[in-house]
Amino acid sequence: MKRDPLLLTGLALGAGLLFLAPVIYSIWLSFQTANAYYTGTLAFTLDNYGHAIGQYNFARYLVNSVIVSGLVTLIGISLATMAAFAFARWRFWGGDFLFGAVVATLMIPSHITLIPNYLTLAKVGLLDTYAGLVLPAISSGFAAFFLRQYIRGIPRALDEAAYMDGATPLQVLLRVIVPVARPAILSMGLYIFISEWNSYIWPLVAVGRQDMYTLQIGLARLYRINPGEGMIDWPLVMAASTLTLLPVLLGFFLVERHLIRGITMGAVK
Amino acid sequence: MTAITLHGIRKAYALGPTVLHGIEMDIRPQEFVVIVGPSGCGKSTLLRLIAGLEDCDAGDIIIGGQRANDLAPQDRDIAMIFQNYALYPHMTVRENIAFGLELRRVPKAKRNARAEEVADLLQLGPYLDRKPAALSGGQRQRVAMGRAMARETSVFLMDEPLSNLDNALRTELRTEIKDLHRQLGATIIYVTHDQTEALSLADRIAVLKDGHLQQFDTPDAIYDRPANRFVAGFLGHPAMNFLPAARVMGPAAAVDAVAGLRPEALTLHTDQPQGPAVQGRVVLVETTGAGLILHVDTDLGRMVAVTPRISRPTHGMALWIGLDPGHALLFDASGARIDHPR
Ligand SMILES: Nc1ncnc2c1ncn2[C@@H]1O[C@H](COP(=O)(O)OP(=O)(O)OP(=O)(O)O)[C@@H](O)[C@H]1O
Ligand SMILES: [Mg+2]
Repeated sequence: MKRDPLLLTGLALGAGLLFLAPVIYSIWLSFQTANAYYTGTLAFTLDNYGHAIGQYNFARYLVNSVIVSGLVTLIGISLATMAAFAFARWRFWGGDFLFGAVVATLMIPSHITLIPNYLTLAKVGLLDTYAGLVLPAISSGFAAFFLRQYIRGIPRALDEAAYMDGATPLQVLLRVIVPVARPAILSMGLYIFISEWNSYIWPLVAVGRQDMYTLQIGLARLYRINPGEGMIDWPLVMAASTLTLLPVLLGFFLVERHLIRGITMGAVK
Repeated sequence: MTAITLHGIRKAYALGPTVLHGIEMDIRPQEFVVIVGPSGCGKSTLLRLIAGLEDCDAGDIIIGGQRANDLAPQDRDIAMIFQNYALYPHMTVRENIAFGLELRRVPKAKRNARAEEVADLLQLGPYLDRKPAALSGGQRQRVAMGRAMARETSVFLMDEPLSNLDNALRTELRTEIKDLHRQLGATIIYVTHDQTEALSLADRIAVLKDGHLQQFDTPDAIYDRPANRFVAGFLGHPAMNFLPAARVMGPAAAVDAVAGLRPEALTLHTDQPQGPAVQGRVVLVETTGAGLILHVDTDLGRMVAVTPRISRPTHGMALWIGLDPGHALLFDASGARIDHPR
C-alpha cells in the first residue's frame, strides 16, 4: 500500500488531537484530587471514581442506562428493519402513504411530542418505569427510512433465489436480507444506541425516582449536590463523565469492525 | 413427474409493452424443453412466470395438474437457476448449495454430504469454503447450478446455466444435466442462446420471438420443417440462405415466395452444373475445424455454403452454386412455410 504523505498524516493527527483535547483533559482531571485541582498542584487518586460509583449511585445509573439504551436499540432496530423490509419489497395498499408518514415523522421536533407522551404515560401509569423510558423511543423513522433505501439496493434476485429455495418471507428477511444489510443495520443500531444514551429531556420528564435515573440525569444532578458550597467538584464530575462516555466508546469499537462495505459483491452477474 | 401446461399466458410489465402474447405450451412430465429466441423476446419472463416470481396478466399456469397462478414461489417446489446467478454473498459455496435443504430441515450432516456430492459433480470441490466474491464468473455460475441441483425437485427452470463456461466444461456439464434429467425424472425448462445446446439437450424446442411462440416441436421437426422463415433462419449454423423461389423452383413458384436452402444443402462446382444454379465469387473463407464456411457474393446476394476442407477454395475464386429444389423449404410472402407445389 502506498504511504500517506507526511503532511497529510501531520494534519490528520493535529485535527484528531484538537477534537480529542477536551476528552483527554477531562479524563486527566478525573484522576486528580479536588484539593490538588483547586490549589493547582498534582495529586493522583482513584477516589473520584469510587465516590461516583458508590456514594453518588452511578453504578445504578449505569445499569439503568444500559438497560434502557439496550432495549431501545434492540427493539428499535428490529422494528425498523422489519418496516424497512416491508417498505422496500412489498407493494401494498396504502404503502406509499404509510411510508410518507414515516418520513414525515422525521420533520417533527421531538419536543412537540414531549407533553402528549408524558400525559399518555401518566394516564397508563408508566412514569418511573423502564417501559416508560423505552416505549416512546423505540420507533425510529430515520432508521426505517435509511434501511429501506439500503435494502432497495440489494438485488431482488437474492430474495427470489431464497423463495425458490423454499424460504418464507420471514426467512428471507432473517437469513438473506439481514446478513447482507448487516453493516447498515449495525450502523443504525449504533446511531440509535448513542442517541438514546445521550437522551436527556425525556428521561428527565418521565422519571422522578432517583433509582430510575439514567447516567445523563445523574450527571446533571451532580452539579447540584456538591460538597464544597458554591463550588463544583470538577474532578468528581469528570470521573462521572468518563463513566458515561466509556460504554459508548466501547460499543463503537466493538461494532466498528463489522461496518465493512461491499458485502453484495459476487451476488449477481 | 410433473406436467406443466401454459394456457393463454399474457404478461406486460408495469409501464411497459406486452412481453408475452398468449403463450400456449403443453409440457409433458419428464420432458426436457429448451426455449430459444433472440435477446429480449421474453424467455426469462416466461420462466419467472412459471416460477411464480411474476404474476401473469391472463392465462393459466398448471403445474402437476394443479392451477398454480396463485401459489407463492416457495410453495411451487421448483428449482431455478437464475441468469444472473443470484448467489447469497454472505454464505460460502457449501452454504449456498445447502441452503434449500436447510430450509427443508434436512439434517446438517446429510445436507453437507449432498452439497459436497453436487460440488464434486460441478468441479467445485476446492471452493466449498469460499464466498461468491472470491469466485470467477464460471465458478459462480456452477454454484448457481449446484444450488438448484442439490434439491431433488421435479421441475427445474434453467436460465442460460452454461453461458459463462469454457467449451470443455460446457460440454461436460451438458452431459451432467442430461444425466440429472434422466436420474431425477425431472421436467426441465431450459433457456439458451446456444444452438448446439438446444439441439442436443431438448426433447422439444420452443422458439420464441417478440413474445409470440413461433414453434414448439422436436429438434428434428424444427430443423427440417420449421413453421416459418424466422424459425428456419434462427436455428442452424451457419444460417439458412433465402432466395427468390423462382430461381430455385422454376417459374411454377409464386412470385413473392421465398426458398430457403441450408448451407450444407448447397453444392459447389467449378463449371455450371445441371439444374438451378447461381454463379458467384468467394469473398470470405472461415475455418470451423472440420470444414469451411464460404461466403459467396452472387447476383442473388451474399450466400453461405459449407464444404469439406480438402476443397481449398481461395478468396476471390469464381464458382457455381447448385440449388437443389429437393432440399429447399418454401415460404410465402408472410413468412409461413408452404408445401412444395407438386
Ligand atoms: N422488470 C421489468 N420491467 C419492465 N420490463 C422488463 C422487466 N424485465 C424484462 N423486461 C422487458 O421484457 C422483455 C423481455 O425480457 P426477458 O428478460 O424475458 O428477455 P429474454 O428473452 O430473457 O432476453 P435475454 O436473452 O437477453 O436474457 C424485454 O424487452 C425487457 O426489456
Ligand atoms: Mg433472459
